Amino acid sequence: YAQQQLVCEACGCVLAEGLLTTTYTDEGQLREVSYSQSTGQREQQSRCLQRGIRRVQDLCKVLQLPAVFEETAVSYFRRALQLPAFHLVSLEKKELLGGCCVFVTCRQHNWPLTMGTVCSLLYAKQELFAGVFQSLQQELGLSVPALSLADLVKTHLGSFRLLQRGADVPAPFAEDKEKLVARTLQVVELASETWLVTGRHPVPIVTAAAFLAWQSLQPPGRLSCTLGRFCKLAGVDLPPPAYLRLKELLEILLRMASQLAWLRVFRLDKKTVVKHVGELLQHRVFLLKKAFCEQGEEEEEEEKEQGAAAPGEGSAGCLPAGQTEQEQEQEQGCSSRGKRRGEAARRPLLPPCLTKPRKRLRTAAPSASDSALGGDDPISDSEIEQYLRGAEEIRALQQLKAW
Amino acid sequence: MDADSDVALDILITNVVCVFRTRCHLNLRKIALEGANVIYKRDVGKVLMKLRKPRITATIWSSGKVICTGATSEEEAKFGARRLARSLQKLGFQVIFTDFKVVNVLAVCNMPFEIRLPEFTKSNRPHASYEPELHPAVCYRIKTLRATLQIFSTGSITVTGPNVKAVASAVEQIYPFVFASRK
Repeated sequence: YAQQQLVCEACGCVLAEGLLTTTYTDEGQLREVSYSQSTGQREQQSRCLQRGIRRVQDLCKVLQLPAVFEETAVSYFRRALQLPAFHLVSLEKKELLGGCCVFVTCRQHNWPLTMGTVCSLLYAKQELFAGVFQSLQQELGLSVPALSLADLVKTHLGSFRLLQRGADVPAPFAEDKEKLVARTLQVVELASETWLVTGRHPVPIVTAAAFLAWQSLQPPGRLSCTLGRFCKLAGVDLPPPAYLRLKELLEILLRMASQLAWLRVFRLDKKTVVKHVGELLQHRVFLLKKAFCEQGEEEEEEEKEQGAAAPGEGSAGCLPAGQTEQEQEQEQGCSSRGKRRGEAARRPLLPPCLTKPRKRLRTAAPSASDSALGGDDPISDSEIEQYLRGAEEIRALQQLKAW
Repeated sequence: MDADSDVALDILITNVVCVFRTRCHLNLRKIALEGANVIYKRDVGKVLMKLRKPRITATIWSSGKVICTGATSEEEAKFGARRLARSLQKLGFQVIFTDFKVVNVLAVCNMPFEIRLPEFTKSNRPHASYEPELHPAVCYRIKTLRATLQIFSTGSITVTGPNVKAVASAVEQIYPFVFASRK
């Protein structure tokens, strides 16, 4: 009954019966079920998934999000990682995927979290984050509601050191949180009504509005404080566009102030108008209507003025053929609109890029010769010659290269 | 102003991208040496050739695939592509002008009113996507036409589509929606 055993000469290991076979069929019958065929691997999570889930959970803890958010974000992450669009990408993108899942969850629950915050926490480039975010939306078919500016104002101001009790802030600069939030919300609403918010990053607008509101609550001690110093006191970063947003807000406020009779006397400028922000915000609906007009209304106004200025001319006599009265007066209106912009006259409430265009608008029509080109027109040899170098030129170039 | 009344909108085509094949291998070094207005990008393995009339830029690969960009109409794109193929023929290659196709058309259109983007996005989900932190315009996709529109608050709309007809249809389709969200 002795069995033939094989023993390794080097280590003395005894090979059990049947482990070495000579045919494939023997292998097939005797070998155990491999790990990849068993259900063990499917139930176990891959290292990538485990790492990703841990990252999502850490992110939720850092942002102090409720437990429901964490569960939702983790479920999105699991679903996304199964798809080839996210499974077969670089590790960098997989790390961003976790952040995107948290971001989407926050937006769906109206929790004001900006992309800038998530990118800074993940040390990620915003362009890459944007790409992963858009792919996630598309692949999972998620509906992501818009960011609520009011909630963002409350959250952003909540992080200001100026508003925290017990913070080491000079007395003239400390402020009550509720008052500041209320006034900032009003300024932000004014900004959104006057085309300053559409298409722009929200955080610089909130920062500029908070600064303006803070200055207006106690102007005497605060007018000399700059935006940069305010952000330092508040313990927040100064976003570069905030200066431009502040300038735009002050321009709007100055226009509104020009409509209030008792303020017109003061000849307000960008510094002094801050003292009257409270009054201006109180009557903002009326003042906006008075200070700005609809585009159609301005043309009517121009029409009336043109009519009043030259009553004797008579529109019928001086019209070129085929042009209507309204068109001519619109043209005149357009030419004089620029001249009158500097004055206190009503101007249309337009986005800033239209009132101060940086580049000329495209109005060039295609030239007659270009438009006459047909796809199948014959091409003459002489036209082609201009795109080929002559023999002498080629020789010279070869000599130059050889040299 | 009424959405149903006839409005004349100028759609300005700013770029037409087309491709064609030459059905032969192209020696990029020879094209760079003997062609005028040519830039040879050896590291990427392509040659850029610029034509003056029509004003187009062609990217030529050694496999014989050529992409032409910069034309302002489909006819101009075809003419430019044919002119390029003739230039390559003159250089000594056995070029056959085949598989010509217009792949992308970019056009710009200006609406005579401003548009409230948050309102527009709310009423046009899920086709519209608006992320002010990423881009100042609303991105609206029309799957049936394979067209994408970028709608700005100033009323300017940039349309990209597979051909001029799709671009024109896209503008027609979007007009009532932007009109509803006008300021």
